[in-house]
Amino acid sequence: MNIMLFLPIIVPFVSGGVVLLVPNRLPVLQKAITIVATALNLALAIFLFKQNVSCSLPWIGFGIDFALRVYHFSAFIILACSCFGFLIAIYSSFFIQKNFRANQFFSYFLITIAFTNGAVLADNLLLMFFFWEGLLLVLFGMIALGRPGAFKTAMKAFIIVAITDLCMMIGIAIVSRLSGTFIISKINLPPSAAGSVAFVLLAIGAISKAGSMPFHSWIPDAALDAPLLFVAFVPAALEKLLGIYFLARISLDMFQLSAHSFLNTSLMVIGSVTILLAVMMALIQKNYKKLLAYHAVSQVGYMILGIGTAVPAGIIGGLFHMVNNAIYKSGLFLTAGSVERQTGTTDLEELGGLGRKMPITFICFLIAAASISGVPPFNGFFSKELVYEGALKRGFLFYAIAATGSFFTAASFLKLGHAAFLGKVPPKYEHTKEAPLAMLIPMAIIAFFCVFFGLCNSFALQKLIQPVLHQANFHAAEFEGFKVNAKLTAVTLIILFAALANHFFGFRMRGKAIAAADHIHHAPVLSFFYAKAQEKWFDPYDIGLRIVNMAAGFAFRVDRAIDWLYEILIVKVTGFFSGTMKRLHTGNYGTYLFWSLIGLAFVIIFLSRSL
Amino acid sequence: MLLSLLILIPLFSVLVLNLPPLLRRAKVSFYCALCFTLAQIALVFFCVFNPQSIVVNPFGSLLELDLSADSISFVVLLSIGITGFITLLVAKYFICEQQNEHNFVSVLFLALAGLNGIVLTSDIFTLYVFLEIAAAASFVLIVINRKKNALEAAFKYIVLSILATTMMLSSIALFLFIAGNTHFASIRAAFNYSSHDFLLILASGLFICGAFIKAGVVPFHGWLPEAYSESPAPVTVFLAGIVTKTLGIYTLIRIVNSVFGFLPAINNLLLFAGAVTITLGALGALAQNDFKRILAYSSISQIGYIVLALGSGTALGLSAALFHFFNHSIFKALLFVNSAATEAQTKTRNVEAMGGLQAKMPATAFTSVIASLSAAGVPPLAGFWSKLMIVIALVASGHPLYALVAVLASVLTLAYLLSLQRRVFFGTLNADCAQVVEARAGLVFAAVLLALITVGAGVFFPFVLNTFILPIEKIFAG
Repeated sequence: MNIMLFLPIIVPFVSGGVVLLVPNRLPVLQKAITIVATALNLALAIFLFKQNVSCSLPWIGFGIDFALRVYHFSAFIILACSCFGFLIAIYSSFFIQKNFRANQFFSYFLITIAFTNGAVLADNLLLMFFFWEGLLLVLFGMIALGRPGAFKTAMKAFIIVAITDLCMMIGIAIVSRLSGTFIISKINLPPSAAGSVAFVLLAIGAISKAGSMPFHSWIPDAALDAPLLFVAFVPAALEKLLGIYFLARISLDMFQLSAHSFLNTSLMVIGSVTILLAVMMALIQKNYKKLLAYHAVSQVGYMILGIGTAVPAGIIGGLFHMVNNAIYKSGLFLTAGSVERQTGTTDLEELGGLGRKMPITFICFLIAAASISGVPPFNGFFSKELVYEGALKRGFLFYAIAATGSFFTAASFLKLGHAAFLGKVPPKYEHTKEAPLAMLIPMAIIAFFCVFFGLCNSFALQKLIQPVLHQANFHAAEFEGFKVNAKLTAVTLIILFAALANHFFGFRMRGKAIAAADHIHHAPVLSFFYAKAQEKWFDPYDIGLRIVNMAAGFAFRVDRAIDWLYEILIVKVTGFFSGTMKRLHTGNYGTYLFWSLIGLAFVIIFLSRSL
Repeated sequence: MLLSLLILIPLFSVLVLNLPPLLRRAKVSFYCALCFTLAQIALVFFCVFNPQSIVVNPFGSLLELDLSADSISFVVLLSIGITGFITLLVAKYFICEQQNEHNFVSVLFLALAGLNGIVLTSDIFTLYVFLEIAAAASFVLIVINRKKNALEAAFKYIVLSILATTMMLSSIALFLFIAGNTHFASIRAAFNYSSHDFLLILASGLFICGAFIKAGVVPFHGWLPEAYSESPAPVTVFLAGIVTKTLGIYTLIRIVNSVFGFLPAINNLLLFAGAVTITLGALGALAQNDFKRILAYSSISQIGYIVLALGSGTALGLSAALFHFFNHSIFKALLFVNSAATEAQTKTRNVEAMGGLQAKMPATAFTSVIASLSAAGVPPLAGFWSKLMIVIALVASGHPLYALVAVLASVLTLAYLLSLQRRVFFGTLNADCAQVVEARAGLVFAAVLLALITVGAGVFFPFVLNTFILPIEKIFAG
């Protein structure tokens, strides 16, 4: 039985190694292995669900064992990851283009699943960190497989994530020092100064994995550069699940946080800022995938805000939003993939009227977009309402920001849908067809879940989310399931209508769907900040690069100066003195006699002074 | 053993070799001298290992010389023996005419008698007499090939030597006046009870300056670069290897150790003079283009190290000074042998006209690299150990700044010696040197022998330390 725990790591990892050996001449074999492996993985995840076991093998020693534990929360995360892995694998069977290093991609893809399973199942902090770091490697590899120039983006992602992983490593060291163990299920730290530092460091690792600000800036770049499947799977679904899972673990189990502590408030601030700034950026994007990427950042804000509230409703909302977001966000990216495959572009300037040509894609898009915008009765509505409820308990400002974020989310999806799927069909896309069935099925399944988790929200909440809170050492009031809060719902509806009105206003003003948000883009103060943001003034990575470049320039000057000191100054000074010596030695013995007598006088005077 | 024979045999040889039957037998005199130097080396080793058998002067009343020998003397006698032997090897190729060669050996015998006498005596006036013998002999040696430049150089040397002699003689007269006789011990005693303070200071100052001139300490060094560079090759080896050092440095060491004692004022004077000499000598070497002149300035700089070590005023400093004395004899003689070899093969001393000779003269190039590294104090060569001892002695005696000067100056040493190596032996082969071949076997043999001594003294440093160097600490008169 216990050996079953290892299979979710071993099976994808080994099949990933096998796929790497399959030459690119045999794409069918590659895809078959991938689909079988992900199906097996899904079966394992279903089998492990509702289990509660742990096992441990000796590993490095010093209290570092290969310890795995499955319980409700981790089993649930693994199940979600496996579902997405399986769906993406099916989708990829038609999406992968020619001349693509497919063996590498599928190999990294499977290894990513293996490492994610490992990180989620690990019951030892260092083992978890081992898998966590392994994910960074395959992340780098997958981005670098993208279009030419993706290497730079891969580097950017690698550096950002590596720095935050380093923070996490220090955090792990502090935690193990404080608690005396690496075993996650035994750690339960009371509040302390060192503990707070450790929490911040671990939280940096977690929210960076989830893609929150200020560690987000590689995601919009990767949306354009990296393979689409990667973006639909890793930043949109997998990393959200993993990052928020870990954030929930540290804030619920590993640390005893008081509800109104500074740390919780910081999390809420990060969450709110991420929601608002990322969605503002999403609003003005003119590329299907990039717009989605900014939303992928923005939605993390809701999850972090929810968990940061430390209120049962908020936490459950945050976790529910995590699942919902993974569903509709990967669904949205898959629709982008369909559009890209059928038309060859994701540039909104060129697209239009695809709704009639690709009706199923359009319907899936509509459902997912409604979900992300929080339209009842889709799943996003319910999780957002819960987050709002939690935020409102902690402060009106947080709620206001989250609600504003919803307004912009709705507005940007109205713009996206209008520009891509409605309006007139451009002449060159007259003969566009619907995507192949293998691509439609995953999208349809995802759309189904959007509806299902919305209509049957109480099922999802009670079976999947609430047990997490029960198992966590959470002593707050029990959560009694979703109750419709009339006031909040009314506000949400008003916001949605406002977004609709805003869209039509913008559309009327400019006459083009793509320009529907331009009146916000070009608003007096905002336009300045938008311009600067487009120039990457606010990208922490670019700021860091600038600082590093300045430091490097400074160090270079210092180096030149030292060089000058050694190669010019010392040589010149020495040359001056040795030249002087040479000139003084004229060969005239009178001079030499004179020197000797001076020397004699000096010696006599010196001796008579000091003897 | 009969150490006084080291003075008597050379003197006797000079007489016998110039008797009519042997007058023109240059070969005989040459091999006599060679045997004598080897015998001297053997004798020193014998004395060092059998200290109880030392009989300095078996002729007692017959020869009223006040002789004594200690560990300092042995190191210097050994250096004299080795350098004399090398000088003779080199002389074979550079003293052309038969008559000249005969004269050369005779004068060399005279010089050896003078040098050994300086080392063995314990009377300040006797010391002066031997000093004059050696000096007069070396004037003659410089001009033995009757070259105009050599004559000019010898003249400058004589002028400054006369100044030195005057100073020393005045000093000895003052000592005689104060102490009543000229024995080291009496003068030393006078320092304790005499009321003639100023006269003592004057006498000490004069004597030290005399020794400084003989040694070539800055600013008394004016004669040295020219005398070294214009002498015939074997004479340069002899002068640089042993003469200047015995006349100047050994005298200084002996007088400071046995007569003045290490007074703070004298220590400070020596430290200052040493530091200035090291620095200016090295700077002077940097600007030169003449192979032998570079080495001459390098000699000045290295002599500064010995003076500096002496100035630390400790037993370790004294030992270090003597060890560096020995090492400098060896590696400087080696470098001058190399310069002789390149001069003989390329007919020039200008380093700019050489280049890439390492391909043509591998043995010469290799040995000169060893000598340079030893001079710069690179482990495990002998020069490293003596410089290390000097630096330790300076730090231990509370002069870290002078230690710093010593260390930094070895960077300069490395700079000028490596640039010399690069310009002469490495880089591209100069077109003028295309026909050059390796030097004559005797020169190569001399160079390899010296290189082996340098490496050996460094690798077997513990043996050298225990046999020759540490006994010196026992006779330290602080």
